[in-house]
Amino acid sequence: MKTLVLGMGNPIITDDGVGIQVAHEVANQLNDSQVAVAETSAAGLSLLDSIAGYDKVIIIDAIQTEKGQAGQIYRMRTEDFSLTKHLSSPHQINLATALELGKMLNLAMPQEITVFAVEAKDITSFSEKCTPEVEQAIPEVVKMVLQELDA
Amino acid sequence: MKRITIDPITRLEGHGKITIFLNEDGSVANTYLQIPELRGFEKFSEGRIAEDMPQITQRICGVCPEAHHMAGTKALDDLFHVEPTSTAKKLRELLYSSFYVTDHTTHFYILAGPDFVMGPDASPAERNILGVIGKVGLELGGAVINTRKQNHWIIQTVGGRPIHPCFGLPGGVSRAINEEERAKIEEIAKGSVEFAKLTLKVFDDVVLKNKAYLDMILSDTFTQKSYNMGLVDKNNKVNFYDGKVRVVGPDGKELCKYGPREYLEHIAERVEPWTYLKFPYLKKVGWKGFVDGKDSGVYRATPLSRLNAADGMATPLAQAEYERMYSTLGGKPVNYTLATHWARLIELLYAAERLLELSRDPEITSPNIRNIPTAKPDEGVGIVEAPRGTLTHHYITDEKGVIKKCNLIVGTTNNHAALFMSVRKAAADLIKPGVKITEGLLNRIEMAWRPYDPCMSCATHALPGQLPLEVTIYDAQGNEVKKLSQGI
Repeated sequence: MKTLVLGMGNPIITDDGVGIQVAHEVANQLNDSQVAVAETSAAGLSLLDSIAGYDKVIIIDAIQTEKGQAGQIYRMRTEDFSLTKHLSSPHQINLATALELGKMLNLAMPQEITVFAVEAKDITSFSEKCTPEVEQAIPEVVKMVLQELDA
Repeated sequence: MKRITIDPITRLEGHGKITIFLNEDGSVANTYLQIPELRGFEKFSEGRIAEDMPQITQRICGVCPEAHHMAGTKALDDLFHVEPTSTAKKLRELLYSSFYVTDHTTHFYILAGPDFVMGPDASPAERNILGVIGKVGLELGGAVINTRKQNHWIIQTVGGRPIHPCFGLPGGVSRAINEEERAKIEEIAKGSVEFAKLTLKVFDDVVLKNKAYLDMILSDTFTQKSYNMGLVDKNNKVNFYDGKVRVVGPDGKELCKYGPREYLEHIAERVEPWTYLKFPYLKKVGWKGFVDGKDSGVYRATPLSRLNAADGMATPLAQAEYERMYSTLGGKPVNYTLATHWARLIELLYAAERLLELSRDPEITSPNIRNIPTAKPDEGVGIVEAPRGTLTHHYITDEKGVIKKCNLIVGTTNNHAALFMSVRKAAADLIKPGVKITEGLLNRIEMAWRPYDPCMSCATHALPGQLPLEVTIYDAQGNEVKKLSQGI
């Protein structure tokens, strides 16, 4: 089984870099050479290029929800996305749409996708570090990713 | 009327807001637009080594990193007073042309296309790339993915890394290409030219041959007579990588043409109390408010503006399309905002042709890719055309090349005033007393700003990716009548 851990985000916009920081730490702690770890600052259609060809993909990214607390961690599975696909904008291509598109065009899409999202506090100012609340969540997310890989 | 205060101090939570206030009779009283700004970048870059700036700034934007990389690289040439080698310039422009192919393709098929191919009244479930591919066919859909994928290979190969090139240096670039790579680039370029031609045909069949769309394009609601800005080469032809900034009026007359170092003599910024956004305008014309016309300093920097500001395209197929667009729409300049989508596809064709030309240039595989700077750095300005508008990078350093001050005017910033005006006009014209506010109607208001393709994906990077936007309409009593959001 080909597995990918993909950290998504922007490493110079404070909490938006949390996905990439988690991926770095996962790479440090991982002993399994069968698992690829990558980072990307792209989104949308470019995501297809990153995930095609893998059987299992774990994505880590920042998120902002209406009532979430900074540092809160969510775990989402592919089934949770089909809902967001229809609620999203007609004009952008989010993960769910990208998956659907990949299937439509017979690209090798992963069967299993898990997303760990960390509630962000600040994604509009420039910093290479996360806010303390989000920083504190990083070790926990790393643990969850490693557990997911073992599962 | 209930008073609602728009407090710009309120955090926008990373998305844009259009707020529309209605009169008692249901007509539009006022419209406001707020877009999240990149704040604190100047502070963030102070103390950094200038040579790192193409690497740092390309991380501002997940959609057009190559544009920042290129503007930063040219600012470094100027900062270090060094001229790049001829091969380096060509390699830069080759990578840049390939980038334009990917970016303009993405915009048409994913962002703009759904409006036209599916129609503004189609349900959200269909009005996206899946619907578009359903309509244009799996083969063309596959070609969209493939063209992007192949051109990403070019960017990665020439630029040294996927998405974020490690390529630009003061005086040159970091690596040369060999014959095997060159040959593959040439093949991809040929395919990209065919793909661009096909895309223009789709536009022709779906948009131009549809009277309802053509009427919309030509309508007063979506017309704006502002100044046009774009980079031109020495023959006044559109060039994305290099040249002088040319500004042409809504009447077609040239206002000015200037080199990067003169930009502050021509552009000033207006501050308004209801938003953090600053509104650049033409100094020599002056700020007359959010109005168009040749007496107002408001200008646009979009694909359409570039075509208006130039005398033509530098490659033959694109030139033929350029002439066709202007003869179809009644001559130069074209002030129909929706024609920006057409202009973008003409640029797509030009980018592909230019890529092909450069891949065949006898110098392109030369190992002579860098002139080492010898002068002390002090101040430099680099300007390129980002897909979304003229992009300016300005660095001031100490004599070791450490940044003291940095100013960026990103593509979308040029268009803040014009974007606001387009939205305001569409809202005023489309929301009338007694007219039911449907999603289709609000989509038509969105169609007023989508041609500008505001690039703030830097500001938000949660799962969605593109600029999330919220449109809220309040009645005269201050009650929320309707809310539409995308990507939130």
